[in-house]
Amino acid sequence: MAKERIPNWLNSSLWSTTPTVDDRLHCFSLSPTTTTTTAAAAVSEPIVQPTVPVSPPAAASRPQSTVTSQKYEFRDPIDKNSNNNSNDNDQNASPSGVSPDDISRQAQLLAELSKKVVNFRELRRIASQGIPDGAGIRSTVWKLLLGYLPPDHLQWSSELAKKRSEYKQFKEELLMNPTEITRKLEKSAVDDQSKSESSGLLSRSQVTHGEHPLSLGESSIWNQFFQDTEIIEQIDRDVKRTHPDMHFFSGDSPLAKSNQAAAEADSFFCFVELLSGFRDHFCKQLDNSTVGIRSTISRLSQFLKEHDEELWRHLEITTKVNPQFYAFRWITLLLTQEFNFADSLHIWDTLLSDPEGPLETLLRVCCAMLILVRTRLLAGDFTSNLKLLQNYPSSNISHLLYVANKLRSQASN
Amino acid sequence: MAYKVDHEYDYLFKIVLIGDSGVGKSNILSRFTRNEFCLESKSTIGVEFATRTLQVEGKTVKAQIWDTAGQERYRAITSAYYRGAVGALLVYDITKRQTFDNVLRWLRELRDHADSNIVIMMAGNKSDLNHLRAVSTEDAQSLAESEGLSFMETSALEAFNIEKAFQTVLLDIYQIIRKKALAAQESASGTGVPQGTTINVNNMSDNANKKPCCST
Repeated sequence: MAKERIPNWLNSSLWSTTPTVDDRLHCFSLSPTTTTTTAAAAVSEPIVQPTVPVSPPAAASRPQSTVTSQKYEFRDPIDKNSNNNSNDNDQNASPSGVSPDDISRQAQLLAELSKKVVNFRELRRIASQGIPDGAGIRSTVWKLLLGYLPPDHLQWSSELAKKRSEYKQFKEELLMNPTEITRKLEKSAVDDQSKSESSGLLSRSQVTHGEHPLSLGESSIWNQFFQDTEIIEQIDRDVKRTHPDMHFFSGDSPLAKSNQAAAEADSFFCFVELLSGFRDHFCKQLDNSTVGIRSTISRLSQFLKEHDEELWRHLEITTKVNPQFYAFRWITLLLTQEFNFADSLHIWDTLLSDPEGPLETLLRVCCAMLILVRTRLLAGDFTSNLKLLQNYPSSNISHLLYVANKLRSQASN
Repeated sequence: MAYKVDHEYDYLFKIVLIGDSGVGKSNILSRFTRNEFCLESKSTIGVEFATRTLQVEGKTVKAQIWDTAGQERYRAITSAYYRGAVGALLVYDITKRQTFDNVLRWLRELRDHADSNIVIMMAGNKSDLNHLRAVSTEDAQSLAESEGLSFMETSALEAFNIEKAFQTVLLDIYQIIRKKALAAQESASGTGVPQGTTINVNNMSDNANKKPCCST
């Protein structure tokens, strides 16, 4: 039974970037946490339904020239309700002042997105400097960067339709009401029986031991169903509790529901793509391997040592701040708990578009975070340093990313 | 900008907060150290850390509290966090039976990883949700007795017994340390070592006893 419950998508090529270890599939599904998934929901931002229709300040500043020269609709081609693109939720947190830099980058991105076939190198180059919030294009750019959308515009709508129906199927398969499953099982059992016992003897119907709603057996599909339902409800409650300001997760109108369904599918696949480079960190069995979280944390420590040995020595030798105490969260959550939502999006723009890949980029950003507070760290003891690193001060993200970028140039020179 | 290196205390006690995911450990910590309670608190990833300095029997005690993630995933990573801990607050949720049933597992975890003299307080949190209660006070009391733990029901939301729970743990630790110090002093004077020798009780905590307490 357990085997049958592994859905096809787990065996899909999406997951196979690294050599396979049998445990991986199992350990990956061990304990669902809601913490990282919320940021992934940002990929679906254009179809967020704002509760109050407001005229977006950025709409006015959207360069008309690029919009008129645009040949291809870069919005979600399936979702006809996504006209409020520039009204997405990350606007709430972004300052209304739009810099000339942002406007020119926005224009470049719009131009890139309106090409028949998107040039990925160019897209990465522009997006790595940050995707302006105003234009509501982040969701499309992220989908492209993650490889969820193909570069060719003509394929977008069919690709999205395919993925969304695929997702719907996964859900039906996984979250099927056990009544359906048992009915199918019984039916196939009866079919088998009728084939083998066609000799005219009265067939006996088997009394099933395992599969009924009161079964407490661990392999019982009913028991599994109730456990799954509980987890799903818990995730639902946690998401609403921890992100009360995000309208995406609420809204009961049919329109909102259909948007949510498409967004859920898109987010799921983007999340899978994103995690393909990070999933080993979540595998307990790999904690002590070269691909596990411990080894990634050591790499960060090594990286700091290379770039700022004095700071490294003070942190790890003098004040004995084990990088695990702060970097575990930094790395596993891709910094989403260290910064506010809008700032996290900007960091993710860079993580997703940097040609070196999300993990390398993340380590550079983490290292830059340490270097940016080095004066304070060098003057601090264990307690103050750990407090500082577990409650990282709000920062100028552009500057942080600039410093992180410089760390690369130093390394390659 | 300079951070003052903090030595303004007589003792530093490391305390760990443990228990199942969602029982309210982080809110107990924020209530105790910042007098805050947050309904939107996210699940703890890895470990979080906070301190509070308070007076115990006229001594300045700095409580260094480590709030560990309750989720199974983090156990392997968090075992190091028990090192040097002299106290533990083992928390369960009075509205979730499972979290109480797991208390024994957490005790085993402590016995495997922490100092054997560690002072343990079991806290039945969310006492404000009495109408949803799934663990009776009597059950908890009898478990606490049989396992030799202190016990209190608490509510981080209502700030009920949080202060008292920590105070009790800290006082117990302090008394153990004092007893050890006195015993050491006695045996020291008995063997003719001059009085006033600094007694090393550092086995309780790396930084405990920064100022010698037994010099009189």
